[in-house]
Amino acid sequence: MKEITVVVDNRSGMLADISATLAERGVNIETIDGEAAESRGIIRLTVDLYDEALSALRDSGFQAISEDALLIRLKDESGALAKVAARFKDANINIRSLRILRREGGYALVTLVTEDNEAARALVEDLLASGPA
Amino acid sequence: MPHPVWKPLEASDRKRLEDTLSKIDEKAKTLVGYPCNQAFDYSELLPFLAYHMNNVGDPFAETNYGPNTHDFERDVIEVHAGLTRAPQDDYWGYVTNGGTEGNLYGLYLARELHPEGIVYYSEDTHYSVPKSLRVLRTRSIMIRSQENGEIDYEDLRETLKIHRDCPPIVFANAGTTMKGAVDDVKRIRQIISDLRIPSSYVHVDAALSGMILPFVDKPNNWNFEAGADSISTSGHKMIGSPLPCGMAIARKHNVDRIARSVEYVGVLDTTLTGSRNAFTPLVLWYAMKRLGLAGMKQTVQDCLSMADYAINELEKRGIPAWRNKNSITVVFPRPADEVIKKWQIAPYGDIGHLITMPHVEKRTVDQFILDYVSHPTNGQMRCSVAPPGSHAIITGAAVSGPETETGT
Repeated sequence: MKEITVVVDNRSGMLADISATLAERGVNIETIDGEAAESRGIIRLTVDLYDEALSALRDSGFQAISEDALLIRLKDESGALAKVAARFKDANINIRSLRILRREGGYALVTLVTEDNEAARALVEDLLASGPA
Repeated sequence: MPHPVWKPLEASDRKRLEDTLSKIDEKAKTLVGYPCNQAFDYSELLPFLAYHMNNVGDPFAETNYGPNTHDFERDVIEVHAGLTRAPQDDYWGYVTNGGTEGNLYGLYLARELHPEGIVYYSEDTHYSVPKSLRVLRTRSIMIRSQENGEIDYEDLRETLKIHRDCPPIVFANAGTTMKGAVDDVKRIRQIISDLRIPSSYVHVDAALSGMILPFVDKPNNWNFEAGADSISTSGHKMIGSPLPCGMAIARKHNVDRIARSVEYVGVLDTTLTGSRNAFTPLVLWYAMKRLGLAGMKQTVQDCLSMADYAINELEKRGIPAWRNKNSITVVFPRPADEVIKKWQIAPYGDIGHLITMPHVEKRTVDQFILDYVSHPTNGQMRCSVAPPGSHAIITGAAVSGPETETGT
C-alpha cells in the first residue's frame, strides 16, 4: 500500500480539513496517523485512490509528499545536509534530489529522493521525520 | 485585414472584453507585490501587431522565415551583454519568453556540458527551478539560506566537499523572489576553486536585479566578470513590457559545443523553443532606445529611493521593515489577508514584501501603509523581520535577524 505524507500546520481541525478535501474528490482514507511537533504536524495516509489524493491535497495547498520521497528531520545548521549526502556517497547510492521543505525550532524538514529508496530508508532511519513506515 | 469569414463580435463578447480591460486597469493600480513594471508606452509599436512575426531559430544566424526581428533581438542582446559584463567576443544570447525560460536554458546548457553534474541551489530560489530540474532530470541538492535570503556559503562548501567528483552546477540568485538577496558569485567561484574542483558551471537568475545591479554605484558580485557562465534576466520586470519576456545570455564557446542543426528552417537552432516571439524584442529595443543607459540608471535610483521611503514610513508606524543592499524589495511582517488580496502581495510564511517598481509612487506606498496599519494581524506582533541592532538595509552576507521561514 503506497503512502502519502502531509506536512501541516499544527492546529485544531487540520485532520478534518484533510478528510474533507479527500472526500470531495471521492478518495477513501484507509489508514491515517500523525505526529505533532511545535507548530507543525506530519500526517501519514494510505488511501484507495493514490494519484487522485495527491492531486487533491496539492490543489488545496497542502504540502503532500509521495512515497517516492523520504522525509527526514535534520538540525538546522550549516553542513547538516552535507552529512546526509556523505552517508549516501559512502554507500554508493545516488541522490536524485535533496530539498528543504521547512525550517523551524532549530530543525529542518527535508525531502530526499534517491535511486534506491529502500536502501536509502535504511541509511537514514534515525532521521526519518515520523519513524519508519 | 482579417479573412472575410471573420464576423463582428457579439455584444456580450465585446462587453466581456471591456469588463476585463476595466478589471486589469483597476488591478494594475494596486500592484505592489509583484515585480512587474506598469510604467511604459509602446503605442508606436502597435502596427506590428497586424502581422505574424516569428523569430524562429538563432537570432545570430540567417533564417528562411522572413517576417522576423532578429536584428532588433541582436541589438537587445548586445546591450544586455554590456550590462552583464559578458566577454566581448564570447557571448551569445536570445530574447526569451521570461526569466524561467532563461533559467531553463542555463540549466540545460550546464547539463549538456556536464551530464554527471549536480545542481546546487538555495532554498530561496524561485519555485520554477525545481520544476526545470525535473524536466531536465538533473540531480539536485538544495542549500540552506541565510536569514537575508542569500545562500549559506558554509553549507554550500560542506556539501560540495562530498561530491567533488561530480561537476557542480551552482544556480545562484541575483535578487531572490521574496527578499531580493544576491548570492555572491565571486565567493561561490572561490569555494569551488578552494576545493580544487576542476570543472563547474554557475548560472545566475537575475530576473529582477539583472536590470538593477548594472546601474548602482557598488554592485554585488553577480555578473560574468564575477564568474557567471550564463545569466537570465526578465524583460517585463524592471524594463516593463505588456508581454512576458526576458534575456538569456551565455558564454558562446559553451553554446557552440551543444548547438544542433535544424535544417528545415535553415538555421543552427540553439534556442529552447521553435517559434519565438518577435514582438518582445521590439519592445525591449524600444524601451532601451527611449530610456538610454542614463534613463535606466535614473529609474533604478528612483526605485531605490522609493524603497527607502517605504521603509521609513513603515518604521514610523512601528512596522519593522528592511531591504537587502541594492534591492527594491521591502520586507515586512505578513499583512492581513484583506491587504494581501487588495495589494497583490506575495506572502511567504510570516513575511510579505512590496517591490518599489517604477510605477509605484509615494501616494501608492502611503495608501498601502494606511491599509496595512488599519488591518493588524497577530503576525505583525509575532514576527521580528528587521535584524536586531542593524540598519534597515542589509549590506553584508553575515547577518542574523529575522525569525522568518524562508524558501520557495
